[in-house]
Amino acid sequence: MIKRLFDWLKQPLGLIAVGITFLALFSLAAYGISLTQKPPEQPLQFPHRTHVAFGIQCLYCHPGASKGPAAGIPSQAKCWGCHNQIQKTQTSELLKPLKDAVLSGTPLEWVPVAQVPDFVQFNHRAHVAAGQNCENCHGDMTKVTIAENPQVMNMGWCLDCHKTIAGEDHEKLVKLVDCGTCHY
Amino acid sequence: MSNKFSRRDFLKLAGVGAATTAILTGCGPASRYVKREPYMLMPEYTYNGQSTYYATTCRECAAGCGLIVRTSQGRAIKTEGNANNPLNLGKTCARGQATLQGLYNPDRVTDPAKAGASITWDAATQAVVDALKNHKPDEIAFLMGTTSDHLFDLVTDLAAATGINAPVRFGALSMFESRATLSTAAENLFGQRGLPFFDVGGAQVVFSFGANFLETWLSPVSYTRGFAGLREAQTKMRGTFVQFESRMSATGGKADEWMPIRPGTEAMVVLAIGKLVAEKRGGTMPHAFIEVDPANVAAKSGIKLETLEQLAEKFASSAGALAIPGGAALGQSNGLTVAEAVLALNALVDNFGKPGGVYFSALAPNQTEYQRAASVQEMQGFIQKMAEGKFKVLFIHGVNPVFELPASLGFKEALSGVGQVISFATFPDETAQEADYVLPDHHSLESWGYQRVVTGSAQPVLSGSQPVVSPFYNTRATADVLIAAAQLAGGKFAQALPFTDEVEFLQSKVAPLMNSADGFFSAADINTFMAYFQQYGGWWKTLDGRAVPVAANLLNHSLSGAEAEFAGEGEFFFVPFVSPTLAEAGANKPWLQELPDPTTTVMWNTWVEINPETAHELGLEDDDVVKIISEAGELEVPVYRYPAIRPDTIAMPFGQGHTAYSRYADNRGVNPADLLGQYFNEAGDLAFAGMKVKIEKTGKKQPLSRMESIMGVYGVGLGEEH
Repeated sequence: MIKRLFDWLKQPLGLIAVGITFLALFSLAAYGISLTQKPPEQPLQFPHRTHVAFGIQCLYCHPGASKGPAAGIPSQAKCWGCHNQIQKTQTSELLKPLKDAVLSGTPLEWVPVAQVPDFVQFNHRAHVAAGQNCENCHGDMTKVTIAENPQVMNMGWCLDCHKTIAGEDHEKLVKLVDCGTCHY
Repeated sequence: MSNKFSRRDFLKLAGVGAATTAILTGCGPASRYVKREPYMLMPEYTYNGQSTYYATTCRECAAGCGLIVRTSQGRAIKTEGNANNPLNLGKTCARGQATLQGLYNPDRVTDPAKAGASITWDAATQAVVDALKNHKPDEIAFLMGTTSDHLFDLVTDLAAATGINAPVRFGALSMFESRATLSTAAENLFGQRGLPFFDVGGAQVVFSFGANFLETWLSPVSYTRGFAGLREAQTKMRGTFVQFESRMSATGGKADEWMPIRPGTEAMVVLAIGKLVAEKRGGTMPHAFIEVDPANVAAKSGIKLETLEQLAEKFASSAGALAIPGGAALGQSNGLTVAEAVLALNALVDNFGKPGGVYFSALAPNQTEYQRAASVQEMQGFIQKMAEGKFKVLFIHGVNPVFELPASLGFKEALSGVGQVISFATFPDETAQEADYVLPDHHSLESWGYQRVVTGSAQPVLSGSQPVVSPFYNTRATADVLIAAAQLAGGKFAQALPFTDEVEFLQSKVAPLMNSADGFFSAADINTFMAYFQQYGGWWKTLDGRAVPVAANLLNHSLSGAEAEFAGEGEFFFVPFVSPTLAEAGANKPWLQELPDPTTTVMWNTWVEINPETAHELGLEDDDVVKIISEAGELEVPVYRYPAIRPDTIAMPFGQGHTAYSRYADNRGVNPADLLGQYFNEAGDLAFAGMKVKIEKTGKKQPLSRMESIMGVYGVGLGEEH
């Protein structure tokens, strides 16, 4: 039975069938992977550029960046502190999700844009303390609505910067490229 | 090409299959799908991904250990000991660790209620106002637990200013510890009120007469540290520990020698050892030990005379000998004599006020004299008044007397003699179920307060509490309810509690310590002082505050070596003991239920310990249900054959047998307090180990869940199906 199946598969028509099946499976897999890489929809189209244009500092909304590992998402109370006093908030269709969320006491579910895998112990504080500006990694927020990553945040990118900064200072280099610096 | 499916073909097909599976299941990171919710309202000092730590005080028992609670995103996630607190120096017991499960217990009382129906806090406060205003002062009574000292102080102030009855405190732990006996013995012999402190850590030889100081006794974390000091062998000789008790406790299991003496002979054994020690030390025989005859004691107690002599030799020859009274030895008709005899034994080796000796516990910073919880005899008087209708209003906080007091005292029945019962229970316990109003207090991790450290620390310590999380439910601090009600009631009530809230009251109570020079911190203004108070988890003095007992006439005190009297007809001595894992209020926490008992490894249940020889004579196996009959009642409970108990004694743990108190506790096991009659020792403490009981077979079987093999300690039944 199985021998006959293999014999049939080895004739030209069989080979074509195998090829088609393989391609179908491959494209399905590729689609599957692309799905895992596609972030879900943001709850609202947050305009970073508008906020930066009003002169609001990054650390006003993301104070955790100078204090600890996570920059954090501002509490809705903080959003509402300003928006409550802005007339447009009451009428704007774009701001309706915020208004609804605050008034009903339900949290908006934001989708993180810049992230590293769980096995990386990233800490914002050290980077801010070393004098890095937010835009060095996160790009120019005066240009974007929802934040975008100007680069893929992978290990090569991290190490590239760490090496450049260390320069000729060997002791610094050892500290900055040591595995245990980020993976512990 | 062979007829068969070739090896090569198989590998090809398997390879394609595996690769396809791997690709389809997806190697990509799933974290892209993560969504993050911001806070509605960000708590102060909170940063995402960073824990915040708060210092507070454990209220699982009255010891007053300091805790550091780790919180993340506004949720308490771990408790550990506060390393700064001189009492526990960073350690906790299992109950302290399990505090969190009280906080997150799904069956907490969530709203104020009248007769089971939710009401508003305004209505609830009005009920308290009416209760205070519409009754004569002597018709109003407060029954409180042994924790929440700040609330006790508040009610004491209220009572003093308005003439209502002074609050009465009670707790099952102080009942099983026989605290009244300890302090009465100290008062009789030293002429000074106070709780003795036994410096186990500095001693070389410790004789404990029933004290379960590694489990729940007085201040278990502190005494456990002391025990570690006793055993420490780097800088000195490893200390020796001998335990005298009829049933081996978890503490007794740690002893070098365990002396299973016959219940009731503790006093004479202590006196006999005292006499032999005095003989070895020479000089005139102290009056206290003259009458006792060691040979007679050996015959009665079941310890050989030569063993008594060896023990006396060990005690007399050591530079740091210490004797401790406690547990079942004091819960007998002659418990006070036992306690006095043990103190006399200490006086004989002259260890008062010396390292490894006996001290008076340091009084807490805002305390002027020693206070203790009511003895059961005092509770009997209280219940009598309730039954006679002398109390029209009874406020109950922090104690569950329907469960904790022996049923024979009739607390539950006496409640019907009280016009109105207002409970402040956090959990729906048996007493709250009988109450007219339940006005739930916050859980201790949501509460302000302080607890005085009564014993266990050389320095006087006031452990401070602060909320580590916002209250989860519609609960309100009892102090706030009383302050609000007093303000609404006006007149002398409002004058008695002139505060806006609980925190202002707390500040008024700790303010006198602010400029104290002997504190480990001081401050010029109250806000700074309170900030430190919260940050460090309390305030304590830097110097040793223990007093040295004066033993002038102690050894001339006449002590009777008579045997204790036992009530009841049965053939077995009955020893109830506090479950080392659950104690009186741990049954509502699954962690503690799941924690195996240290000696039997039984979990989630009550058992009766019977010596295997006795069980064999009675034809009993493990898990056979027996009926235990005392004068006061009867219970059905499965047998655990326990080799470390005298054949004439049976023992049961106290802690289970709830009929309410959350889904984890109710209808689980039985309460041995139901078997206890109204017998007291000379100090008014319950003679809980002073009864004899009968055993009857029932023919039923109930398997106990336990960590050791279900086959038991002897491997009986190996290979059989279970």
